[in-house]
Amino acid sequence: MGVKKFIKNVKHTLGLNDYGIEGKKKSLKDLLKKLNSRKKSINKSLESTLKKKERTELEEELEIVSCQIKKGKKILHSLYS
Amino acid sequence: MLRKILLPTILAILAYGFWISPDFKEISAGVSIFLFGMLTLEEGFKVFSGGTLEKILEKSTDKLYKSISFGFIATAIMQSSSLVSVLTISFIGAGLIGLTQGIGIIFGANIGTTTGAWLMAGFGLKVKISAYAMPMLAFGVILIFQKAKSLKGLGYILTGLGFLFLGIHYMKDGFEAFKETIDLASFAVDGFKGLMIFIGIGILATVVMQSSHATIVLILAALSVGQITYENALALTIGANIGTTITAIIGSLSSNIDGKRLAGAHFIFNVVTALVAVILMSQMIYAVDAISSSIGIASDNYTLKLAVFDTLFKVMGVVMFIPFVNKLVSFLNRVFKKDSSKPDTGYDSARYLNDSVLELPATSMAAIIRETKHLYENAFEIITHGLNLKRSNIVSSMPLEEVIKDTYSKSVVDIDEFYNHKIKGIYGEIIDFSTKAQSDMSPKDIEVLYKLKLANRDMVEAVKDTKHLQRNLFKYLNSPNSHIKEEYDYIRKNLAELLRNINFIATTDEEDVILILLSKAKVHTERYDILANGTLDNLIRDELITNEMATSLMNDSAYAYDISKNLIEMAEVIFTDRNSNTPSLNEEMAMNAEDIKAILEKKDD
Repeated sequence: MGVKKFIKNVKHTLGLNDYGIEGKKKSLKDLLKKLNSRKKSINKSLESTLKKKERTELEEELEIVSCQIKKGKKILHSLYS
Repeated sequence: MLRKILLPTILAILAYGFWISPDFKEISAGVSIFLFGMLTLEEGFKVFSGGTLEKILEKSTDKLYKSISFGFIATAIMQSSSLVSVLTISFIGAGLIGLTQGIGIIFGANIGTTTGAWLMAGFGLKVKISAYAMPMLAFGVILIFQKAKSLKGLGYILTGLGFLFLGIHYMKDGFEAFKETIDLASFAVDGFKGLMIFIGIGILATVVMQSSHATIVLILAALSVGQITYENALALTIGANIGTTITAIIGSLSSNIDGKRLAGAHFIFNVVTALVAVILMSQMIYAVDAISSSIGIASDNYTLKLAVFDTLFKVMGVVMFIPFVNKLVSFLNRVFKKDSSKPDTGYDSARYLNDSVLELPATSMAAIIRETKHLYENAFEIITHGLNLKRSNIVSSMPLEEVIKDTYSKSVVDIDEFYNHKIKGIYGEIIDFSTKAQSDMSPKDIEVLYKLKLANRDMVEAVKDTKHLQRNLFKYLNSPNSHIKEEYDYIRKNLAELLRNINFIATTDEEDVILILLSKAKVHTERYDILANGTLDNLIRDELITNEMATSLMNDSAYAYDISKNLIEMAEVIFTDRNSNTPSLNEEMAMNAEDIKAILEKKDD
């Protein structure tokens, strides 16, 4: 076995090949989890009676959170593919 | 003055030595090769210090015992307490660790140096060490010429070790040959007088060689062939321990006040430990004999007994000082105060940028990030006052409607003066330092540095735009026309909201919060642009403001828009976690113009 092949096999066995990508996937999943729970809590707040200003602010935040979730899912999908 | 005399004196002594004895030439060459090996070894470890060492250091120095362990392990691996000391000063200079952690590392490094004596006494003097040196040098040099950074680093480490071994070989051979012509042991001095003389020689030798490690190896080489007595060797070891503080003191000269305090701690620790060792010399010799016999070291094996003494002496010092670390820190804080003799000119200057942090790319980067945050604090203050707002109100939870009512000053604030006193100098220093730092950085680091430079420029631009905005802002805040006053208050309120959000981003670690606040700030910047949202057109069409007011408002809303954009871009660079494993994720998740447009259009529907 050549040195290059040996190093490749060791890297594969220890799972070092996709170390960076795996870390990114994990961080992204954590972030998406937080964003989803935030989205849930905003939706819950919107069900209750709110002042117009508060409702507008929450609706805007919901838009932003939804956009971020969409973006995150897209990145995650590209990482898996 | 001393340096001017010292160098020619050393050269003259060496030349005389070479002339009278060819064996002295061999010993000196051995010492030189050994020292060169240490330099090469340090170079090799520096290659690997880009990231790993810093992360370990940051995470493993939160408790004193961890700092001591880190210092011990790092020194045992790198075989250089000087390198660990200089790195510690560099980390303190960059503000990555505090003085207490730094002291812990120095304590650990002191114990770590004893591994060198054990290696030399237990291995170096017993085998033909030069046989290992040759292949190491050959492999090492080949690796040095490789392009890959890690191979190059490995090459430096192998070559360094090769030179260390070769140096030891020449020192050992030199002393053996020297013995046949001159018996140095005949110059041995007994008793207290001898102790003091040889401590002095140990200090001098270490100051000249700038390495206690080299001195101890030299002592062991001489001791192994009986060229010095065991008692004198003990005194030389104590002297070497005092002499080594000079390296740290020299390293701290270019450091900030904390670096100087650390060098002070190093000096106090080593000198006090040496004094205690001198006082308890006979008890220590007895303890060394007892320990040696209990671990099976023969009573005439003086080299290994010296290694035992070296370890006992240094461990004793650390154990003695541990209960007093906090007292030592407060003493050093009292003694090394910031230079109060300099008159307070009112000009703020860089806090973290000094030559000691240039030692490593990671510390340079950390120092630049911290300095940029320092600049942000000043910019935050200036922009707040320029908008006639109070900083304390912005960072509080006071409703924004009330924040804009509680004004900072009745007259225009001199932003130029603020800029010259609190921004210009620091900004200049950051740019100058970045240029120096990037020469040792990898292309990836240079890219990050470039973004940081842009963030600094954004801040400076935001301050300058505030200056332009301020002129009309003060004028129209007192205007009898309620419409124009309302518009300028609207600008102030939106910028106050942005500053509050950025302040929140600066103080939180929650990634989702940072992401949402930055996105919100971007959306608001576009939405509040009165040129784009039609407010200005309505005011002109309904003749609610004069033409002069309209042009002022148009220009000033553009300034407000630029301030917001610059501050958001700056916050994206300096407050998203640069140490995170996935810094690129923050950039990918950031909202772009298309996302903002989509949100704004949805809202308008």
